[in-house]
Amino acid sequence: MRRPGLFLVGTLVVVLGWFGVTLALGNAPILGLDLQGGISVVLVPVDDADTDTLDVAVDIIRNRVDALGVAEPEITRQGGRIIVDLPGVRERDQAAALVGQTAELRFRPVVGCLPAEGDESATTTTTTAAAAEPPTDTTAPEEPTEVPTTPRSDDVVDQPVVLEGLEPCQPADESQGIPELPRYELGPTSGCVPDDLDQCVTGRAVDTARSEFATGQGYLVTVDFTGDGGTAFIERVATPNVNQRVAIVLDGIVQSAPVIQPDVVSGGGGSVQISGDFNESQASDLATVLRFGALPVELETETIQNVSPTLGNDQLRAGIAAGIIGLLLVAGYMLLYYRALALVAIAGLVLTGIWIYAVVAYLGDTIGLTLTLAGATGLIVSIGITVDSYVVYFERLKDEVRTGKTLRSSLQRGFQRSFRTILAGDVAALIGAGVLYWLAIGSVRGFAFFLGIATLLDLIITFFFMHPMTIFLTRSRRLMTARRIGVAAALDRPELEA
Amino acid sequence: MSRFGTALRDLYHERTNYQFIERSWRWAVLSGVLIAISFGALAIRGLNFGIDFTGGTAWEVQVEGDRPSTNAVRDALRPFGIADAKISFREDRGSGSTTLLVQATEHEGEERRDVAGSLEEFGTIQAISEVGPTWGESVSRQAWRALVAFFVAIGIYLALRFEWRMSAAALVAVFHDIIITVGAYAILGAQVAPATIIAFLTILGFSLYDTVVVFDKVKEYEETLGAERTDTYSDMVNRALNRVLSRSLNTTLTSVLPILSIMIVGVWYLGAVALSDFALALLVGVVVGTYSSLFVAAPVLAWINERRPKHRALRERSAGGRGRGGRQPVGVRAGVEDVGALAAAEREAVADRIEPQPDVGADVGAEAEARGPSAPTPSPKPSPASTSGITPRPRRQRRRKRR
Repeated sequence: MRRPGLFLVGTLVVVLGWFGVTLALGNAPILGLDLQGGISVVLVPVDDADTDTLDVAVDIIRNRVDALGVAEPEITRQGGRIIVDLPGVRERDQAAALVGQTAELRFRPVVGCLPAEGDESATTTTTTAAAAEPPTDTTAPEEPTEVPTTPRSDDVVDQPVVLEGLEPCQPADESQGIPELPRYELGPTSGCVPDDLDQCVTGRAVDTARSEFATGQGYLVTVDFTGDGGTAFIERVATPNVNQRVAIVLDGIVQSAPVIQPDVVSGGGGSVQISGDFNESQASDLATVLRFGALPVELETETIQNVSPTLGNDQLRAGIAAGIIGLLLVAGYMLLYYRALALVAIAGLVLTGIWIYAVVAYLGDTIGLTLTLAGATGLIVSIGITVDSYVVYFERLKDEVRTGKTLRSSLQRGFQRSFRTILAGDVAALIGAGVLYWLAIGSVRGFAFFLGIATLLDLIITFFFMHPMTIFLTRSRRLMTARRIGVAAALDRPELEA
Repeated sequence: MSRFGTALRDLYHERTNYQFIERSWRWAVLSGVLIAISFGALAIRGLNFGIDFTGGTAWEVQVEGDRPSTNAVRDALRPFGIADAKISFREDRGSGSTTLLVQATEHEGEERRDVAGSLEEFGTIQAISEVGPTWGESVSRQAWRALVAFFVAIGIYLALRFEWRMSAAALVAVFHDIIITVGAYAILGAQVAPATIIAFLTILGFSLYDTVVVFDKVKEYEETLGAERTDTYSDMVNRALNRVLSRSLNTTLTSVLPILSIMIVGVWYLGAVALSDFALALLVGVVVGTYSSLFVAAPVLAWINERRPKHRALRERSAGGRGRGGRQPVGVRAGVEDVGALAAAEREAVADRIEPQPDVGADVGAEAEARGPSAPTPSPKPSPASTSGITPRPRRQRRRKRR
């Protein structure tokens, strides 16, 4: 390392600067339900529902809230109610919106496209809409008069409706002078059994959905159906609507309206792909809606309450006190064993600590990351791993110095070798954290997130701070050669010179 | 100086020469017994799953007067053995009234009413209902899936970074740790909460990290393999373990200190039940994790590797060498990649507990390195320290080896 001073100053500026900005903005980590409490939304089914159905709803709500961020909600069925405790949410409306989407996902054929409500200039172009791309085999609406958007209360399964969509029904085409037609005119819900309107094909037919990137086609959404669901979808939704657009409707909004290709029907029904001009986030949003969209019961909000921390202030204080005592003990032990060298480790730990604080505060502000006991544990373990990085490095230095090399070459080689070791361990930890984050839900996900962040920061500090700091420290003759407490004594070679 | 003092001193100066591998049968017996006890405890006592997994009963109390402290509520619950219940206060924003919500594992009719009676000191009972699990089957299913993927990913990484044998040995050690920690939970009857699962995962991470560091050392020492005629793969692993010992003990100690402190404080503040249970799982796991890196992972690795033809040949040669009268220098054939390892191998070869002289061989190596790959190979000069006749390989060869 040529310019240790540069690295040292650079690291300090970045970390302390970030920390300073965090403090200046008044940001602090958002504590989780167990540590700080949050808002509790109590949901009750509109009609009677058995416990199994409610348990299914609990799972769906959990997936939905989990998919929105890394905050760790706690969702329980208590008697005939569902209690959703949300950490880090300050506004009632926000809380209600997070859990309040309760309608079922349904499929409706697209009959035509309509201009925005109150937009009279475009009423004449509905016929062009049918001929225009995307190909919609539709008939123009009879009356060119104003058609109101169907209110939610009138959104009945077996009636035609007019709804807004996330995407316009027909995008504008400047070259042919076709204006944008944002609203969808939809037929009665597809896939219902005529005599029993409760037997429609809904989001429950969908087993899972994911967004994928395919070369040449851009982003796609692949939908896997459950066994029965797939059969029902093919028979009752796809077959009657081949070569026509079918709208996927959730909460009175058209999420997407793909054309059913003939090979969907012949394909058997295990899985289908939805393609279109998606960008990455549109595709993943659609996949999320398809996966978690449907609740089996209609729920309404009973109350919204503030909830106190489940762990209690006493436990939080005890935990913090214990953590501080533990850290002091670690620092003391390091000083005893590594003498002056321990200063590097202690400085590094402090630096990693305040950086983690700043990053967690930043992520709390931007993506609603909350710090729970589980997350804090991830951090405590990472302290163990951080200290370990220094121990590995120091022990390596001792090895090198013992072979009789000069301090200079010992430092150089000792760092190279030990960083390989540290990297191996940290990469293993990062892989573990990554897998757990992507695949698990709830508190396991929170744990993985914190473990990952802390490991990454440790790696950065190790590289940009630990080694330069040691070089810096060993330049001081006094620290180097002090009897018993100097670096030379710590390296087990008291006669070593800088 | 007492024996213990000498041992500590040797440890500090890295002069130990414990026989980890040769006596590995002892550890195998110890681990076997611990695992058997764990399975026995799991079969007989089972795990005490908390309300998050099993569901249970919820008591709702309309608080009258001041809001009581969580500790006061806990004390009221203690006679019923449910001091570890989840306690929270819910404040209705509209009316400003506060509800105390206590959730605990299943209790039958009679006891439910007794608990309710005890809780009446805080207000009027509003409702007693049953609660579903927050950590339901679907969460568990996802967690299991994640765990399997975790093992596969780590296994692949270790196989790529080191070799598949090390990957296998590391996974054996990790399973060993998890089984024993779960067993400890069953024996102590401590309640399994979602935080416990986190603790198990933590242990997993810690144990793996520890094993990675140990194997990294072994990998490095592979270069010294065959430094003497009697050297076998197991001897080499043993050498590496002795050199990594002080690191392992230091790491364990620095990890155990905060955990112990959490446990002690948890006992002190009797309320902090969740914390102390949690710390217990971590403590057992961290200690077992370090143990397994040295006494399970490494011997398993040695055991697998000794079955490979080239290492078996070494062992046969070693048996022959020992038969002819012990340690004999082999000469230049041994390549040593790392000068630190070289010194260690030399110390082994010369005699135990003699401080190494600043040896010429090592310095030549360092110089050769400093001069870079194009430097001419220094002719191996006999040095006073290198009685085993080990010489550093020139840089160029070394680089090829590394790739």
